[in-house]
Amino acid sequence: MKIRMENVSMKFGDFYAAKDINISISKGEYLTILGPSGCGKTTLIKMISGILRPTEGCIFVDGEDVTDTHLEDRDTGYVFQNIALFPNMTVSDNVGYSPRVRDMTKDETASVSEEYLKLVKMLDRAGAIPKELSGGEQQKVAIARALASGSKLLMLDEPLSALDARVRVELRYDMRRLVKKLGITVLHVTHDQEEAMSVSDRIILMRAGRIVEIGTPLDMYRNPGSIFAAYFIGETNLLECTVSGKTKTGKTVVRLRGGQMVRAAKSVLTEGDAAVISVRPENVYAAKEGLKAEVTEVVFMGTYRRVRTVAETNDYLEYNISSDDEIPKIGDKVHLVFNKKATMVFPRPEKGLKEAIELE
Amino acid sequence: MSLLKKINEMSDSRRSRKAWFGAVCVVFLTLIIIPSIFVVFRLFTDWSSVDGVIADGATMGVIKGALFNSFSIAFIVTVIDVIVGIPMAWLLVRKHFQGKRYLDTLMDMPLAFPTAVLGISVVMFWGAPEGIDIPGLGLNLSPYAMLILLHTIFTYPYMVRSLSAILEQIEPNYETAAMTLSASRFTAVRTITLPLFRAGLVTGFILCFARSLSETGGTYIALKMMGVQSTFFTGPTFINDAKSLLGPDSAMGPMILISVLMIVLAIALLVAARLMMVRLKIPTSRVWPQFGRRLSRGTVPKIKDALSIAFLLVIVLIPSFYIFAFLTQPVAAVDYGALLSSIGLSFLVAGAAVVFDIVFGIPMALYIARNRRTVLGKMLDEAVNVPLIIPTTALGFSLALFWGMFYSGDSTAVFTAMVILGHISFTYPLVVRNIIGAVEEADASYEEVAMTLGAKPFQAFSKVLVPIIKSSIIAGAILSFTRSLGETGATTSISGAVKTVPVYIMDLVNKDSYAEAAMCSIILIVICFILIFAVRMIINRGERHA
Ligand SMILES: Nc1ncnc2c1ncn2[C@@H]1O[C@H](COP(=O)(O)OP(=O)(O)O)[C@@H](O)[C@H]1O
Ligand SMILES: [Mg+2]
Repeated sequence: MKIRMENVSMKFGDFYAAKDINISISKGEYLTILGPSGCGKTTLIKMISGILRPTEGCIFVDGEDVTDTHLEDRDTGYVFQNIALFPNMTVSDNVGYSPRVRDMTKDETASVSEEYLKLVKMLDRAGAIPKELSGGEQQKVAIARALASGSKLLMLDEPLSALDARVRVELRYDMRRLVKKLGITVLHVTHDQEEAMSVSDRIILMRAGRIVEIGTPLDMYRNPGSIFAAYFIGETNLLECTVSGKTKTGKTVVRLRGGQMVRAAKSVLTEGDAAVISVRPENVYAAKEGLKAEVTEVVFMGTYRRVRTVAETNDYLEYNISSDDEIPKIGDKVHLVFNKKATMVFPRPEKGLKEAIELE
Repeated sequence: MSLLKKINEMSDSRRSRKAWFGAVCVVFLTLIIIPSIFVVFRLFTDWSSVDGVIADGATMGVIKGALFNSFSIAFIVTVIDVIVGIPMAWLLVRKHFQGKRYLDTLMDMPLAFPTAVLGISVVMFWGAPEGIDIPGLGLNLSPYAMLILLHTIFTYPYMVRSLSAILEQIEPNYETAAMTLSASRFTAVRTITLPLFRAGLVTGFILCFARSLSETGGTYIALKMMGVQSTFFTGPTFINDAKSLLGPDSAMGPMILISVLMIVLAIALLVAARLMMVRLKIPTSRVWPQFGRRLSRGTVPKIKDALSIAFLLVIVLIPSFYIFAFLTQPVAAVDYGALLSSIGLSFLVAGAAVVFDIVFGIPMALYIARNRRTVLGKMLDEAVNVPLIIPTTALGFSLALFWGMFYSGDSTAVFTAMVILGHISFTYPLVVRNIIGAVEEADASYEEVAMTLGAKPFQAFSKVLVPIIKSSIIAGAILSFTRSLGETGATTSISGAVKTVPVYIMDLVNKDSYAEAAMCSIILIVICFILIFAVRMIINRGERHA
């Protein structure tokens, strides 16, 4: 199903939990809504599913205005953050709930319930009651219950956040595979950027009730449109600087706080502009010469090591080394260079860098 | 060494803690449980006097009629409470609207009225009792219907409160989830929330049923004002009146018989209700989607909400407050000395009972809440309910028989002490139940942390746990206090000589001094409200400082 939201806002008292939301989502798309907690993610999907009626704006599903359609006629699957399986029913009755309340016969209900339990591989637990299941199993049942309504639109509110790390990773790929097979449009809320990057077709990044940016994971990672996006998706080093000019090929040259010159990617900024550069740890390398820095910590991360340093400009800088490389000692002096194509330049925010990356 | 320090030291020893809990159990058994059901033993030791009654068709007829009236009225009233209580609980818990706070306060008001006062007020409002000039609706209701109207008033708040308490704990997301799955609100409630509601429904059912079954003062007054007090009986009014009706000697047999029957039937009902709670299934396999949608939308829910509020106003509040109409009349002469001394006596009885309830109720509640799994824990949990379900008039009669074995004088002080014991019996469960609930919600780890930090068990209890459960203790205390203040049946059946305020008002009604009775009621209500208001103020202030 296609969804379109036009100038949608949700106000609680004087407070906008969501403001000026404009998005359009195509059929079969897997979208994640990413953002720090309290930014309005749940509010957004609750409006789409009809649990909340927006205070302003309109919502269209397949071109039809559903803003005032009752929740029970919306036909949108919704999996709650706290799962909310009906505690008074067995797993199969939970999954069969939607067919049953649509007045299907007992046999039809049973066969729908069986079909969807099979899809999520939970058929062998059909007779269990919810509290006998593990978190991951409950989540699967909740998804089956939402899908069993036959709805082509599914909202998932932080479906994985309460699960163990391993289950979480496995389940997210299972989930994506399943809904793609069924051709369902999914909005998946998460505050975990890694989860968002690994499952979505597109990410909607939110902050303080507003949409900051929408794009594919790769785009957002490589070319974030804002400092907030660069900071929230993946990890990055942020350094304040001033634009000192352009190279012949159009690359930006900036002067760091200590006066050091660094080449960065292309930008629209011109000489003299206050700027911030963002460079991810994997694009920072130790070299013979470059920005001087002192190692403060080395952290083992599995396949690589993360080296934390303080640069001569007093900025914190992090970079990765391979696990096989020689480990620098704390207090070692290193020289760091940046991959200039991957060093993004942003105008320095008026209210300061700190405010720009604050989560609220 | 100061007393507090001594308690702290003593609480450190396992033996002294055990001894204290043992003492609490002994007190519970000897002062509360055994006297409450002693009359059952008397049935066997005194079989000869009962035997005669069973042979006496006329008396048996009256007893059977009284029992039928009591139990059927209690049942009908409880069913009404459930039907109107559910939408009201919904309104109070799930809906947000202006003035909800006031609705919430109004809800509890009838609980602060002694039922004797309600008896006068209700008959005045619905009927046209002789000897009262204030016009009521003048309906010519049967005593049976009038009692249903009366009993609904003081049971309704209990039902709404028990239902709200459970509803608050049911995740509202369940209903929303059901609705995203295409269920209408009506279907969602019927298939998800109501089945989860069972426990609260049964608790509410037991509370209301027991309350209605016990009620004496208001019932008697209503019957008296309708002029049918010697032809129409409920169990409690029969016990209340048997001595003057049949003479002190021949009353013994019928009183024992009807008390035992009421106690046994009530306990059997308690057990049955418990079993029902496990078995009861709300049929949910069929749904009617269109019908459900029609009920869930547009005017139907609005009418339902309006009817709930109208019921509260017309059936509960207005009849309760109608007694204030007496203020339009020339002020009746009131014997202030007698009134104030009866109020003082009532406060003494209620206060003493509440203090006892708290001192001996907290350890009991702690033990039950923390030892739910053990046999003793389960047994105590059930035993605490027993005095709650026994009709208080039967309880008082039983208690009087029990203590009468040890004392046969006529000192009013001793009778007052016996009345206090009686009031302890039926208020003790209220305090204990309230505290059990709070303790179960409080995390035991707080106390454990305090103790790992070196606090003695009693310090951990008084400094850590008590502040957490304080509000439940206070709620239980207020509930017990008002319940004791309004009690008539237990008092009169223990001793006719102890004139607490409801008894005093009942006596006035008996003498047809309606205006004076009404005036006394008004004064009493005003004092009660001031008191409740003051307690709330003090509590609120305390909380703001904390
Ligand atoms: N019913 C409500 N009434 C008032 N404020 C609300 C309500 N629901 C959410 N909010 C507020 O709106 C903001 C966004 O909430 P939510 O959408 O739940 O955030 P998220 O899911 O991103 O963590 C929060 O600050 C929250 O406190
Ligand atoms: Mg949320």
